[in-house]
Amino acid sequence: MNIAVLLKQVPDTTAKITISDGKVDENSVSKWSMSPYDEYALESGLQLKEATGGNLIAITCGPERAKKMLTDAAAVGADTLVHISDDGVSDSTHVQKLLTAAVKKFDSHVVLCGKQAADTNGGSTGPGVAELLDAACVTLVSEVNFSEGNFTTIRPSNSGTEKVIVNGLSVFAFDKGSSELRRPNVRGIMMAKKKPVESITSGDLGVNLDPSNVKMNSQNPPPEKPAGQKFEGAEYVNEVVSKLRNEANVI
Amino acid sequence: MAYEALDFYDVDSLLTEEERMVRDMVRDWVDEEVIPNIEIACRDGVFPDEWRVALGEMGVLGAPLKGYDCPGLSYTAYGVICRELERGDSGLRSFASVQGSLAMYPIWDFGSEEQKNYYLPKMASGEWIGCFGLTEPDYGSNPGDMITKAEDMGDHYLLNGAKMWITNGSIAELAVVWAKLDGVIRGFIVEKNDPGFSAPEMKGKHSLKASVTSELVFQDCKIPKDRMLPGVKGLRGPFSCLNNARYGISWGALGSAQACFDSAKDYAMSRIQFNHPIASYQLVQNKLSWMLREITKGQLLAYHLGQKKDAGNWIPEHISLAKMNNVDIALEIARVARDIHGANGILDEYPIMRHMANLESVKTYEGTHDIHNLIIGRHITGIQAFTREA
Ligand SMILES: Cc1cc2nc3c(=O)[nH]c(=O)nc-3n(C[C@H](O)[C@H](O)[C@H](O)COP(=O)(O)OP(=O)(O)OC[C@H]3O[C@@H](n4cnc5c(N)ncnc54)[C@H](O)[C@@H]3O)c2cc1C
Repeated sequence: MNIAVLLKQVPDTTAKITISDGKVDENSVSKWSMSPYDEYALESGLQLKEATGGNLIAITCGPERAKKMLTDAAAVGADTLVHISDDGVSDSTHVQKLLTAAVKKFDSHVVLCGKQAADTNGGSTGPGVAELLDAACVTLVSEVNFSEGNFTTIRPSNSGTEKVIVNGLSVFAFDKGSSELRRPNVRGIMMAKKKPVESITSGDLGVNLDPSNVKMNSQNPPPEKPAGQKFEGAEYVNEVVSKLRNEANVI
Repeated sequence: MAYEALDFYDVDSLLTEEERMVRDMVRDWVDEEVIPNIEIACRDGVFPDEWRVALGEMGVLGAPLKGYDCPGLSYTAYGVICRELERGDSGLRSFASVQGSLAMYPIWDFGSEEQKNYYLPKMASGEWIGCFGLTEPDYGSNPGDMITKAEDMGDHYLLNGAKMWITNGSIAELAVVWAKLDGVIRGFIVEKNDPGFSAPEMKGKHSLKASVTSELVFQDCKIPKDRMLPGVKGLRGPFSCLNNARYGISWGALGSAQACFDSAKDYAMSRIQFNHPIASYQLVQNKLSWMLREITKGQLLAYHLGQKKDAGNWIPEHISLAKMNNVDIALEIARVARDIHGANGILDEYPIMRHMANLESVKTYEGTHDIHNLIIGRHITGIQAFTREA
């Protein structure tokens, strides 16, 4: 089974984000990491690979720096590393088209990804790729297992969790999964170093990136937290309770 | 909050991608598994067995050794591993130093093919722990005069004597023991269950509490003939091991120093006295700036020495300088960091006092600070000053 895992490199959740000229300043990001939900997809992909003797294809669409993330994926067991250049990419529909073309090019039988990327939190990649592939799509999954031709997945439902069983070409978008991404080891790291990253462009994939009809006007940092307030003495009880209820909305 | 290492001169940018990946792997593990558990391990005076398993699984034991299922990394990578481990605790790094440089290395370099095939794979995987017995109660800096001796009894060797201060001793499956056979120092592999061998733990340490330290006692200890290391005679055997371990320590101490610096900086920024953060006072800034200065110099020293180790153009005196300097500054940084933390500095809520107490051992073992001074002094002058006899 060819298992495609779609990965995105994002600023590490601990990295400071600065905005200059209405845009996130990428050069000031101290650390880039694999998006956390993608890590769950990758771990599940590795387990599927081990259970089925499959081949895991790690695919990313992004700038040059994203290749490092593919090498990290190889260190834990990804077999084929595919980097699609993001030249000319200006919105998420472009990314979906490119990823879909790569998924097809590598004859994938199943596609795993995170439910959303930790930077944009768009959440459109999984369902978007499924739509273009005309594949089944299950979102917010925490687990995917394969047996007798079926994928069994676990996802939340109104009353707890539900089990969804699909077959054929399918896309699974991961929420927090049931197992954390495994730690690499020295052997994996040394093998990863020898594994080539296949670099392809939209042209190689035969994808025409038509002019985007999405425009990003500006990015802003979240509003600064207002300074804390301090009350001392029993006479403030009523005021504090009313603030907690009406301003902080916590009680 | 993920750890961001102090790296003022971007020295880590000189590492290869592979070395950086190994660094990140060990660093994450230390953040997730070691730092949250280290104080309990110290209070209980144990080396957690999970750490042995994890080090084996990560594949970092005996890092620079090649073949026999050993990792085959660069010496620079080995240094980086030591640094990351010691940011957690010097006891953890001691475990790895002893396993890799003091127990696996002599078998790898001086052992027979059979010994290498038998011991090294299980030691690299962490299944078997090794220890290194050189120091004796009466012979520390001067191991050449050791008393422990081996006798050739025809079909076996008989060992008699005692070793002291042996890291990993009581938890080891095997000990590489240095003893005199007909007056010549030779290496022997002693296994846990060999008759006449015992390894009682030494208790009451105020330093390296999460590391096991033991005596090794040999009372007519009988070992098979094939347990002697055939490839080396004399002090060159133990000293080659020590060169590698000391090299690792020169990186390791920086890990402790960085942990102390980080804690001191954070504390100074948030501690308000006389209406302002203490970090805003010149005396405190001077301390922080001095720490950064010494750590940065130490990093350059360690990195350059790593390159020399990898290129093979080093001399033992290069290692003495780096071990001596980096442990010295790390210990002084720990002390100054303790001062910056005020009373809080003595609590185990902060890592300071633990690193400080650990580094007192690190200053003494693997050649005391002054023994390294004497080694360098001999290099400069050509005159040995270890003893009054010529
Ligand atoms: C926690 C811990 C773990 C250890 N683990 C191991 C281990 O795994 N295996 C092992 O074999 N050993 C181990 N050691 C022992 C260590 O290597 C010795 O403690 C060290 O070599 C110093 O020996 P000593 O303690 O006998 O001190 P001494 O040699 O008695 O030195 C005492 C003082 O005298 C000074 N001194 C000695 N000679 C001279 C001289 N000629 N000129 C000037 N000053 C001198 C020293 O610098 C020092 O300040 C360990 C020690 C500790 C504390």
